[in-house]
Amino acid sequence: MSRFLFPRWSNAALPLVAVGGAIAPLYIAFLIAYAWSPKTIEVGYKPTQPVPYSHALHVGQLGLDCRYCHTTVDRSAHASVPATQTCMNCHTQVQKDSPKLKPVRDSYASGLSVMWTRVHALPDYSYFDHSAHVNRGVSCVECHGRIDQMEVVQKAAPMSMGWCLECHRNPTDNLRPLDRITQLSWDQRTEMTAEEREALKKLYHINPSENCSTCHR
Amino acid sequence: MDQTTSSSCEIRANDAPLAPAPTGRGHWRSVEELQQTPEFRSFLDREFPEGASEASEEDRRQFIKVMGASFALAGVASSGCLRWPETKIVPAARGTENRVPGHAVSFATCLQLDGVAVPTMATSFEGRPIKLEGNERHPSASGGSSAMTQARILELYDPDRLRSTTHKGAASSLPEFDGWWATRANELRAKQGEGLAILSEASSGEAHARALELVTKAFPKVRIYVHAPAAMTNEQAGTAIAFGAAKRVLPDFGKAKVVVSFGSDFLADHPASVRFAGDYAKGRRLDSTDPKQQQLTRLYSVESRLSLTGMNADERIAVTPSQVQAIAAMVADRLGAVPGCATAGDARLEGTDAKVAQALIKDLQDAKGRALVVAGPTQPAAVHAIAAAINQKLGAAGTTVSYIPAPAALPGIAEFVRDAASIDTLIVLGGNPAYDAPSSLGVSGLIAKIPNVVRLAYRQDESSVACAHGWVIAAAHPLECWGDGAAWDGTLSLQQPLILPMMGAEAGGLSAVELMLRLAGSEPRTGYEFTRQVYARKSGLAGADFEVAWRAALSEGWWPGTSAKPQASLSVDTAKVAAAPVSITAEGQLELFFDSKVHDGRFANLGWMQELPDVVTKLTWDNALLISPAMATRMGLKAGSMVRVTTSAGSVVAAAWVLPGHADGCASLALGYGRGAAAGRLADGCGFDGYAVMVPGAFSSACQFAKDSGSYDFAHTQDHGAINQFDTTVSALKPNVPADGAAERLGGLVREATLGEYRDHPDFAKHRVHVVHRLSLWEETNLDGAKFRWAMSVDLSTCTGCSACVTACQAENNIPIVGKAMVKRGREMQWMRIDRYFKGPQGSPTGFAIQPVTCMHCENAPCEQVCPVAATVHDDDGLNVMVYNRCVGTRYCSNNCPYKVRRFNFFNYHKRTPDREEGFLKTQPEYYISEGPDRWLQLQFNPDVTVRIRGVMEKCTFCVQRINRARIEAKNGWAQKGGSAGSPDWKVADGAIVTACQQACPSGAIVFGDLNDPNSKVSRLHRQPTSYQMLEEINTKTRLRYVARVTNPAIERPAANDGHGHGTPGQDAQNKEHS
Repeated sequence: MSRFLFPRWSNAALPLVAVGGAIAPLYIAFLIAYAWSPKTIEVGYKPTQPVPYSHALHVGQLGLDCRYCHTTVDRSAHASVPATQTCMNCHTQVQKDSPKLKPVRDSYASGLSVMWTRVHALPDYSYFDHSAHVNRGVSCVECHGRIDQMEVVQKAAPMSMGWCLECHRNPTDNLRPLDRITQLSWDQRTEMTAEEREALKKLYHINPSENCSTCHR
Repeated sequence: MDQTTSSSCEIRANDAPLAPAPTGRGHWRSVEELQQTPEFRSFLDREFPEGASEASEEDRRQFIKVMGASFALAGVASSGCLRWPETKIVPAARGTENRVPGHAVSFATCLQLDGVAVPTMATSFEGRPIKLEGNERHPSASGGSSAMTQARILELYDPDRLRSTTHKGAASSLPEFDGWWATRANELRAKQGEGLAILSEASSGEAHARALELVTKAFPKVRIYVHAPAAMTNEQAGTAIAFGAAKRVLPDFGKAKVVVSFGSDFLADHPASVRFAGDYAKGRRLDSTDPKQQQLTRLYSVESRLSLTGMNADERIAVTPSQVQAIAAMVADRLGAVPGCATAGDARLEGTDAKVAQALIKDLQDAKGRALVVAGPTQPAAVHAIAAAINQKLGAAGTTVSYIPAPAALPGIAEFVRDAASIDTLIVLGGNPAYDAPSSLGVSGLIAKIPNVVRLAYRQDESSVACAHGWVIAAAHPLECWGDGAAWDGTLSLQQPLILPMMGAEAGGLSAVELMLRLAGSEPRTGYEFTRQVYARKSGLAGADFEVAWRAALSEGWWPGTSAKPQASLSVDTAKVAAAPVSITAEGQLELFFDSKVHDGRFANLGWMQELPDVVTKLTWDNALLISPAMATRMGLKAGSMVRVTTSAGSVVAAAWVLPGHADGCASLALGYGRGAAAGRLADGCGFDGYAVMVPGAFSSACQFAKDSGSYDFAHTQDHGAINQFDTTVSALKPNVPADGAAERLGGLVREATLGEYRDHPDFAKHRVHVVHRLSLWEETNLDGAKFRWAMSVDLSTCTGCSACVTACQAENNIPIVGKAMVKRGREMQWMRIDRYFKGPQGSPTGFAIQPVTCMHCENAPCEQVCPVAATVHDDDGLNVMVYNRCVGTRYCSNNCPYKVRRFNFFNYHKRTPDREEGFLKTQPEYYISEGPDRWLQLQFNPDVTVRIRGVMEKCTFCVQRINRARIEAKNGWAQKGGSAGSPDWKVADGAIVTACQQACPSGAIVFGDLNDPNSKVSRLHRQPTSYQMLEEINTKTRLRYVARVTNPAIERPAANDGHGHGTPGQDAQNKEHS
C-alpha cells in the first residue's frame, strides 16, 4: 500500500492553519476575559421573583422611601428585606384581592416566608457593610442604580473588587448630603459643585480604606 | 547515664540538672528537649516535623480524584457561564421587635455543671446560638469563662445527639410514650408508686425541685437518687465532720494574702473556678504604682498530681495522696487548729519540702485573717474537715472564706445499687450512670434487669444503651429549654432557651423538668409556664408586678435577693476532725481526678475539648497514667509504655506519661476517657477508663502497678512551636557578633523574677537582654500617621493557663479540629497555643511557666517579606493581615515566622473527618457532614469570619471582625451627629473592642486596645517597666507584648541561669561548661 500523500490543494490550506493557530490563543483569551468578566455575567442579572413587586411603582410613582422597607440599612451591614407584615401594612387595604399578591397573603396567613431570589450577592469572603456607606454620603443609587425605575430589580453594577476600589480610590464624586441618601433621582454630579462635594469629603472624614482587612477577614 | 537513642522520651537515671536548653534560658518544654531527641529537634528546626508536609500516598490518590472532580465542575461552570449559585432571601413573615439582621443578640442564661449553675451569656445570630460567654452581671461571676463553657455551644450541634424517641430500639414518638405511661402510671398509682425510682443527675433548680415534689405527690413511695460523680460530696462530708452540718465553702481569693491548697485545683477544676481565677488574679497583678510597695498573694500547693493550680503555685510540695492528708494534719496540729490530729505524725518531709512546709506554717500564722486554706474535691472528707478547722483557727472564716448551707443530700448511686432489685420502673434523667459510676458497681447490668425503664438522654451513650430495652427520649440542650439553677453562691439563675429543640416536638426535646411534669401528670406541662409558676410562687408576686420582676431577671440572668446568706458563727468540733478516718496508707497509690477538658466524660464528644492540649500534660485526644520521672526510671517505663493498674475495684491497662513535677510513689489518671463506640464518634477510643479502677466513694486508693506489653502513641503538643531562639538570633547577628556567648545576652522567651527581685529591679525584664537595635535589611513598614495602632498585652503574672482563650478563639474564628493523626504531625489549627515550661532539674522541677502565644502582629513582619503573592500584608492600623483569597499556600510565611504561630489548612478540615489513626485505620464516622440535612455543626459558624478551605494559611487576626464592627459603629454615630461639624474627629472608646480571647479570660490577663491613645489600658501596660517583647533581638517590633511574670516564692533558691543578665564574664564561663 502506497504512502498517504496530502493532495496538492492542501498546500493552500497551510497558511490558513498557521493564521488560525496564531489567532486561536488570542481568541480564547478574549473569550475568557469577556465571558468571565463580572460585567458580562453579573450586570443585568434579573431573576423572576415570586411576587411581581415593582420598585418603579412603589418608589418611583408612590414615593416610598427606601428605608420604609429596608429598615436596617443605616444601622447594620445588611439592608434587610422586609417582613411580609410590612407589605400587609398597606395591602390589607389597598389591592387586597389582587391575584399577584396571593403569595404575600398566604405568607401572612401561614407565617411562612416569601422566598425572594437574591439579586446582589457578594462572595462569602467579602464583608460589605451598608451602614458604613449610607452614613458617609454614598447613596443607594451609586451601587444599585435607578431602582426607582425598575419594574423588576436587576443588578446595575458588576460589584467586583475592581469596581469597589474605583470608588474607594476616588470617592468625591459619589458623595452627597446624608439627607438625600435615598433620593435616587437626585444627582450630586449635576446638583452640586465639585467644591461642595469636596467639602462633604472633609466633613465626614472620608478616607476610604484600601486595606485588605476592611472587607476580607 | 542513659544515652538517648529513640525518639520517644527516656528518663535519665541521674537527676542532675541538665544543660540549659536553648529555648527558654533555664526553662525547658519537655523531657525530650532536655535530651535533644531527634523528634524534638525536628519540631525545633523545621516548621513542621519531617514528613508532615508531605501528603500521604492515600491522600495523593484522593488529590487526583478531587482534582478530576474539580476540572469536571469547572467545565460545567464555564459552559453554563453561571454567576453565583442562586440563593434565596428569606425574611420573617412577621417582624420581630428589635431584631436587626446582621446583628448578633446576647441573652443571659445559665448552664448547669454538676448541679451548679454557671452564669452564661449566649450569643444568637439570626436565631442560631453561636457563642457562649460568662455573664459578668451575675453576682457570682467576675467576667470571663472557661474552656468547657466555650465548648458547650458545640454540644448543641453535636452530630451524635439523640434526635428521636425510641422504644425497645424502634422509632417511636412522645405521644406514644404518653400513651404507654398513662397505663403504667395507673398501675403505679394503685401501689402508691411502689417500685418507681428516679435516678437523676444533679440539678439545683427550683423548677427541678418543685417537679420532683409533684412526682412525689403523685407517687408517694417513689424513690429518688441523684448521681453526680463530680459533685462536691467530699467537701460536704468534711464540713459535716467539722461543723456538724454540711456546708458549701465560698472562698474569696481576692482577699487572701496566703493561700494554701491541699490537692485543690481551684483554678481549673471547680464549678466556680472562673470566679476564683478572677479573684486570685486581683492579688497577683502588678498594680502598685511603687514597685517597692508591691504585694502579691502567695500560693502554696500540696498535691500529688501536677495540677494547673500547682503550676501556678509559688511553692509546691508534691507528695502521695496519703501524704497530702498527713501534711494537712501536721499543719493543723502545728497551728493548734486540731490538736492531736490522727495522721499528723506520719508527715514525712525532707530537704526543700520541709523548708517549704515550715514557711507555709509561718505564713499562715502571720497572715491570720488574710490566710485561706482550701481542699480539692478529690481529697477525702478528712482533709476538708482539717481545712475548715485551720480556717476557723486563723480567723479566716468571715473574711477570706464563708460558708452557706449545702444543698440537701439525696441518696446517691450506692443506694441505687443497693435498692436496684426492688425497682420495677426506673426513670433515668440525664447523666450517664452506666459509665461515670465506678464500674465495679455494675450499674449498667442493674439497669438492664429493670423491666420498665425510661431514659431521658442528650446523646446516645452507655446509659442509653443500657436503657435500650425501654424508652429512650431525646433531651433538650440547656439552650433549648426553660429552667433555672443555683450558682455556687446560691444565687438563682434563670435558664432561657435561644432556639426550639432541633429535633422537633414529637421526636423529643424535653428537659428533665418537662418529663417529670408529664410523669406526674400535672399542669402546666411546658417548661416556660412551669418555671414562671415556680418563680411566681417563690417571689409571692403576681400580675404586672411579677411580669416586671420576671423580665428584669431574664434580662440580667438571675433573680435578685436569692444569694444565700453566709453563716457567721460556726464552731468546729476539733475532736471529730482529729478522729476523721485516714483514707489510705499503702505504698502504691492512685489518684483519680476530673479531666480539665472532658470533665467526668460528658464533654468527650466535643472535638474542641478533645483537641485542646491539656495545659499540664500537653496531651490531646487521650488521657494517660501520669507518673513521675523517678517512678518511670524504677519501673523501666517511658512515655507510651503500657501499665496495668490494679485496685481493689478492678484493673485497667493504661499508657504512661512521664510528667516532671508529679509526686513520686503514686500515679494519677484523669476520668472521662476510655470509652467505646457508644460514647460518640469522637469520644470512641480516646484514652483509658479510670472508672474501671475507681473504688466507690474514693478518688485515691491503694494500687499496684505492673508493666504491661505494648506501647501507645500519644498526640502531644509540648514541643510544637518550640522556638530556637539561639539559632535564630545567631544567624541574624552573624555578620557582626560572634556566636560565642550570644546565648546569655538573649532575653528568655519567658521572663520572670521573684517579688524581691522585682522590688529592687522593676525593669528586670528589659535588662534580661540588651538589644542592639539594628537597621532592617528591608524597608520597614511605614505606619506613621495611622489613626489606630492596635496592640495587645498579655500578663504572665495573672495568666493561669486555663486555655479558655484557645477555645474561645476556636469558637469565634471558625477553627476546625483536625484529629489525632494530624496533631501528631503538628497540624493542629488553634490560632493560640499555651506554651508550658518547666524549670530546674527534671526529676523535681522548681518552677513552671505558662505563656500564651499567638500572632505577635510584628511591625517588621518576617512573614510578609517572603510571601510571593502579597497574601499577608500590613494594614494601616498595624494589623498583620492574612488575605485568604490571595493565598496560594506556599507556606513560606509560616517557615519564616519566628514565633511559629501560623497554621496551614493541609486539608479541607471543615469537610473532613478528624482522623484518629493514620492511613487505613480511620474508623470514625464522618464528623463534619457537608451535605444533607445533618449539617448541624455548620450552624455554629460565626458569620463574620470566613471559613477557610484547603490550601490557605491562617493565623490570629486580633479579631479583625470585632475591630471593624466597633470602628463602623463609632464612625456611624459620629457621622449621624453631623460629622466634623459636630465634633472634630471620631474615636473608638478604649474597651469598645474586646477580642475573643480577652473576653474569655477569667483573670483579665489579656488586654487589647489602641496605642495611639496614651491613656488606653494597653498603652499603660506597654509602658510598664515589666513589659517586654518576645524575641526582641530580631527587631520584629511586635504589637503583642508580655508583662513579665513575678512570683512570690517563700524560700531562697539559687537563680537558675536566669538572673539579671548582662552577659557577665562569670556567666559566660558557666555557659561554656554546659555547651
